[in-house]
Amino acid sequence: MGSRVFLDVVDPWINWDWLSTHIPYVLAAVQEHLVLTAIALAGGLVIALPLGIAARRWTNLHLRPAVLTVFGAFYTIPSIALFALLIPYTGLGTLTAEIPLIGYNVLILVRNVLVGLDAVPPDVIDAADGMGYRPWARLIQVELPLALPAIFAGLRVATVSTIGIVTITAVIGLGGLGQLILRGLIESFHTPLVVATALCILLAFFADLLVAGAQRVAVPWSRPA
Amino acid sequence: MSLPQETWRWVTDPAHWQGIDGIPTRLGEQVHLSLESVAIGALIALPVGIVLGHYGRFGNLAINISNVGRAVPSFGILVIAFQVFGLGDVPIVIALTALAVPPMVTNSYVALREVDPDVKDAARGMGYRELPQLLRVELPLAVPLIMAGIRTSAVQVVATATLAALIAGGGLGRYIVDGLARSDNPRLLAGALLVAALALATELLLAGLQQVLIPRGIRLLRAPSGQRAATLKVA
Amino acid sequence: MNAKLALRLVAASAVALVIAACGGSSSGGGTAGKGTLTVAGFNFPESSILAQIYGQALVHDGYTINYKLNLGTRKVVAPALQSGQIDLYPGYAASELEYYNKSAGEATPDPVATTAKLNTYLASINAVALTPSPAVDGNAYAVTQATATKYNLKTLSDLTPIAGQLVFGAGPECPTYKFCLPGLMSVYGLHFKQTLTLDTDGPATRAAFKNGSIQVGLVFSSDSDLKSLGLVVLEDDKHMIAADNVVAVVRTAVATAGVKTVLNKIDTGLTTNDLFTMNGQVELLHQDPDAVAAAFLQKHNYFS
Repeated sequence: MGSRVFLDVVDPWINWDWLSTHIPYVLAAVQEHLVLTAIALAGGLVIALPLGIAARRWTNLHLRPAVLTVFGAFYTIPSIALFALLIPYTGLGTLTAEIPLIGYNVLILVRNVLVGLDAVPPDVIDAADGMGYRPWARLIQVELPLALPAIFAGLRVATVSTIGIVTITAVIGLGGLGQLILRGLIESFHTPLVVATALCILLAFFADLLVAGAQRVAVPWSRPA
Repeated sequence: MSLPQETWRWVTDPAHWQGIDGIPTRLGEQVHLSLESVAIGALIALPVGIVLGHYGRFGNLAINISNVGRAVPSFGILVIAFQVFGLGDVPIVIALTALAVPPMVTNSYVALREVDPDVKDAARGMGYRELPQLLRVELPLAVPLIMAGIRTSAVQVVATATLAALIAGGGLGRYIVDGLARSDNPRLLAGALLVAALALATELLLAGLQQVLIPRGIRLLRAPSGQRAATLKVA
Repeated sequence: MNAKLALRLVAASAVALVIAACGGSSSGGGTAGKGTLTVAGFNFPESSILAQIYGQALVHDGYTINYKLNLGTRKVVAPALQSGQIDLYPGYAASELEYYNKSAGEATPDPVATTAKLNTYLASINAVALTPSPAVDGNAYAVTQATATKYNLKTLSDLTPIAGQLVFGAGPECPTYKFCLPGLMSVYGLHFKQTLTLDTDGPATRAAFKNGSIQVGLVFSSDSDLKSLGLVVLEDDKHMIAADNVVAVVRTAVATAGVKTVLNKIDTGLTTNDLFTMNGQVELLHQDPDAVAAAFLQKHNYFS
């Protein structure tokens, strides 16, 4: 493996000795990373789903353009800035990390909820009405299942995106694999940096696979892209 | 004075528009980094996506490059590149190029795949050979989606270039990092808003460019394409 | 990809993720004990070591400790203390004083007097600084060996005539930090050709020395890697930098007699040489701050 002579100590890109003695440390970081990600995805979904449904139902409120504009604008603000600005108000904990993470996910997911629901063929809606479905039942039993492929697609993008941004929360003292990257930077130490980066990629890859698999199970007729 | 008012004061202070830490300089640095990264990314991604899409082979390869590419954490790549190349623009350009490539690969691949087979048949029938067919028939039809991919990449890159400041780089991220280090919230917020504005401007500019570049016949045929690889936030 | 394969992959991924998620050890396995304290550290290795030393000693004494390490500069850590988001941090007497007194210039080379003055300011934000340690770590200004030889530099005063030819590098807080640029300009009359914003004694500053972007840079006096990087610290002959002795800064609400005893015991036994050695273990040998801290506590029998 490529090694760089750094100061008096040879610093290989991965020091397997260090890694083997630090497995609990690394796994703890992975755990924290996963928890932060899961909360962000769940939070995003819990907000995006009702928002998307409401935006389509109550068009007189012009919710759709409002939601897309507000969350769209939020999306363009760099995460470091949001974390830093929130600290005086929401402290140094998970809440500060989750507010921007959830906010970004709401944009991604609500767009896909809207696209998914929009794509339900009018014929199907007519048929459902004809069969006697009332509006809420129609939504839950007919429209949402048909919108699932689009929602899952959004969930996959949100998952990979969140895993990446969680690394940045380390810059303001929060956790996850970003702490290993930060340590690698501050101490000019390769191993935690390379290990954390590789694990992020693996984590994102597996999480993406998991969501795609869940899509296969939930909506077998659709083909995950 | 409230934070919004202080931030407005900060932005309208003429002192903040001059010198090496002035708004024009930092804006210029952000744009320069982004342009470089998107250009290099396009040079890599477009040929790959277009060729794979044209031949229709290794479709999975294109999708997989894209999936793995999207999973790469920009912060990690930035620091690794910094440890290899040291100070300067190289690390951030590497990280941003890695970010720019996947959407452009996906979109150009899909764009070429979606060209109507009948059109390709017709071209063959008219005597077009492989390369001219690609260049004069398929590519013009593929422009909308390809441009959408470039647009997605560009907006992501412009916003993520703020990370350069974490390794002592320039750009608008400098205001954010310095603002945090000095507890100077107006500077911090100003930096954040400037990045957001720049990202928005990039989106609008490229959307306009897309309209201009689409061959007239296709523009009349299709409504503006709402399709694009879903925008991916990474920083 | 058929459904069976997909399901198997999903199951495998789920199992892997669950193992990963459950495999992480949770921190602080103590009983209810004396309560929970949050210990913070600045964003450089020595601060992580000191925070760990404080924290582990307090754990041994029955507290549960949360760590917020690499939190940032004093401008991030101090407000966090004030708002109660953290309970204590290892500070540096003179720098703390000049922060809380808004650079009024009251710090002296006498750590006891400096700390006493510091406490007059801390009282108004419900915090207290404990007994200062003999260990000192303050700002230091270094040049490369080559630069030192070229201009025959030994002290900061030697820089005054040639500063205009040199580029200076420091962190983002330097322009407003008493013992940084303002001090260099007012006490030594240094006006550099250019000042680059890098980081505070971090990898960017070292990289800048290495590629020649800067000739003078901010480091810390207890850094252990300076020699191996070919850097020479210039002497502060006019004593611009005051008593930056390590001192625990604690919120009054949690500064019980017990906490004070634990922390004072550590600080009175801490020397500058200890800092130098521990920094070396972390910066050069890449040992973990918490392991280095534990070894220090063992060696001095704080656990007996």
